[in-house]
Amino acid sequence: MKQDYTLILTADNNFSVLNRIINVLNRRRVRIKKMMAHELEDDFRRGGMVLLLFTTSDLMEKVKLQLEKLIEVDEVIVQEGSAAYLEKSEQIVDVD
Amino acid sequence: MDALLTKIKPEVDTVVQHTKKISGSESLLQSLVEEGVTTLFGYPGGAIMPVYDALYSYADRLTHILVRHEQGAVHAAQGYARVSGQVGVAFATSGPGATNLVTGLADAMIDSTPIVCITGQVFAHLLGTDAFQEVDVINTTLPVTKWNIQVTEAKDIAPAIAKAFYIARTGRPGPVLVDITKNAQNEKIDEVAYKKCDGIRTYKHKPILQTTQIDAAAEFINNAKRPYILAGQGVLLSGATKELIAFSEKTGIPVACTLLGLGAFPQDHPNYVGYLGMHGNYGTNVNTNACDVLIGLGMRFDDRVTGNVSKYAKQAKVIHIEIDKAEISKIIKADVPVHADAKEALNALTEICNPNNFEVWIETFRKFDAIEHDKVVQHEFNPKGEELMMAEVINHLSNLTKGEAVVVTDVGQHQMTTSRYYRYQKPRTNITSGGAGTMGFALPAAIGAKLGAPEKQVVAVIGDGGYQMTVQELGTIMQYKIPVKIMVLNNNFLGMVRQWQQLFHEKRYSFTEMDNPDFIKLAEAYSIRARKVTKRDELQEALKEMLDAKTSYFLEVVVGKEDNVFPMVPAGAGVADVILEAPGCIK
Repeated sequence: MKQDYTLILTADNNFSVLNRIINVLNRRRVRIKKMMAHELEDDFRRGGMVLLLFTTSDLMEKVKLQLEKLIEVDEVIVQEGSAAYLEKSEQIVDVD
Repeated sequence: MDALLTKIKPEVDTVVQHTKKISGSESLLQSLVEEGVTTLFGYPGGAIMPVYDALYSYADRLTHILVRHEQGAVHAAQGYARVSGQVGVAFATSGPGATNLVTGLADAMIDSTPIVCITGQVFAHLLGTDAFQEVDVINTTLPVTKWNIQVTEAKDIAPAIAKAFYIARTGRPGPVLVDITKNAQNEKIDEVAYKKCDGIRTYKHKPILQTTQIDAAAEFINNAKRPYILAGQGVLLSGATKELIAFSEKTGIPVACTLLGLGAFPQDHPNYVGYLGMHGNYGTNVNTNACDVLIGLGMRFDDRVTGNVSKYAKQAKVIHIEIDKAEISKIIKADVPVHADAKEALNALTEICNPNNFEVWIETFRKFDAIEHDKVVQHEFNPKGEELMMAEVINHLSNLTKGEAVVVTDVGQHQMTTSRYYRYQKPRTNITSGGAGTMGFALPAAIGAKLGAPEKQVVAVIGDGGYQMTVQELGTIMQYKIPVKIMVLNNNFLGMVRQWQQLFHEKRYSFTEMDNPDFIKLAEAYSIRARKVTKRDELQEALKEMLDAKTSYFLEVVVGKEDNVFPMVPAGAGVADVILEAPGCIK
């Protein structure tokens, strides 16, 4: 059964890293409901992304592993529901 | 203060005088030499001209093979890498030069082949302006590379190359593309010592062997009644053939190989039970659904191996040993995941698994072999009709080379027939396009394979369709006098598609029959010795002549137009539903 998942990701802030991340989700046809991307406040060479996804638990698990495989990706955290997305995105907006 | 500056200035000038300036292009070539590259394949063009100009002075250190199409360069680099275990290198210019690499990159990506492709790119200030021969190569190749990077300053070239080689060859190997703008190739920089990459913070390619996973796997193995190993290319990439033999001999567990795993386990070993997959052996497929512990070793449960996954090994506990964590449980749920390099896992398992033998279980494979022999093999090796069959040709080739040649295949019926009947004895002798199924792969890949293993006999086995997709590489073979042997099995059909049309589309041969050119004249136009065989009594002598030739040699073997490859797991069927002949025996 499909449901909301919040995916929080940190990565090296290289050109094209956002495309790589989106490519993994697109190939698996995972629906992206919302997303925000940002440089880390204390180090522009690294960045973060928070996405609200709508998919199954099985696919979420597999996509997480495929994202972790990307060379620039440092860490991927998945949480059920949208609460974590709202909290994280508010933090990003506050920093800006 | 002024005096101090005046005093410092001459010292700075002195340093500058002693620092050699090099161009970005020279930095690139120096980096390749430092990475141990000796041979590379490429095709020049406007946006990579500074690199080719620098290459003129590197002829003593780098052998550049001028191919006839960029696709030829990337497949040659793949052949070189697959046979040697070294990183293959290809050069191409921007725009169409770079996009011509895409098929080979996709092929290398899915077949885990370590290659580094260098593409020239327009000047940095023209990026994104639709300049002449400008294509967004980074985004074009993003889904088909393990990693790629665009370099716009000369100082960044050497670090990018170091990182590219590190990523290409470590972990699950794969293709990397480095796109270098022309201004970066021209720019002069201070020469600095090359520093190899020894780690990337975010890239953890070598899993730490987990004792708990090994213990759990050993417990299943020690209690198994009918365990079964499916060995994939991971065994070859890890260099774990000896370890696999040791593990199988201690535990008595039978071993089957996937298409890319052929050569990972000697086919004359008593524990070898055959080739897996859609056109694999009868017993290897049927017994997948009879084993109680299935050990997937360095393989990824591709759909050509599993058939219908809902009918695949439901009775078995699955142990999946794999270096790429994302492959574990991707297709077949693993009861025991072992995230590890194949060699390390095998060493650990061999130490703690109990000695055993499964002769009765292995005998069941032999019984299926006997059925397959009666229904399929004996008819193919001893056909009653006058037409030559692909299987008998490959059987003779295997006998004459004792299964020790490097055999490079393309895609289709000839590929499946070769995989079934060439008895590979050694690692890195089976070079084929597996996951991508790229027609046109074999001829250029054979060029790379011969240059990667010049001491070995290299035979390209190709169908008449795939041969014509990259046939222009005969020019490369001619120019560099590369002594590869080319054998085209000509049935004047796109044979595998025709077979499917026969079996599943009521014999409606929609656009699969081909009128071919005179292949002998074509080879001779490139000064390649050539011969055509149509009769059985000429075959063995012609094969010997081809194998004995010291130069390149082209052999066309005319085979039956409607020869089919069996056994076959029909699309959508389970592995146990493998068929040995066409429904209604239309064969």
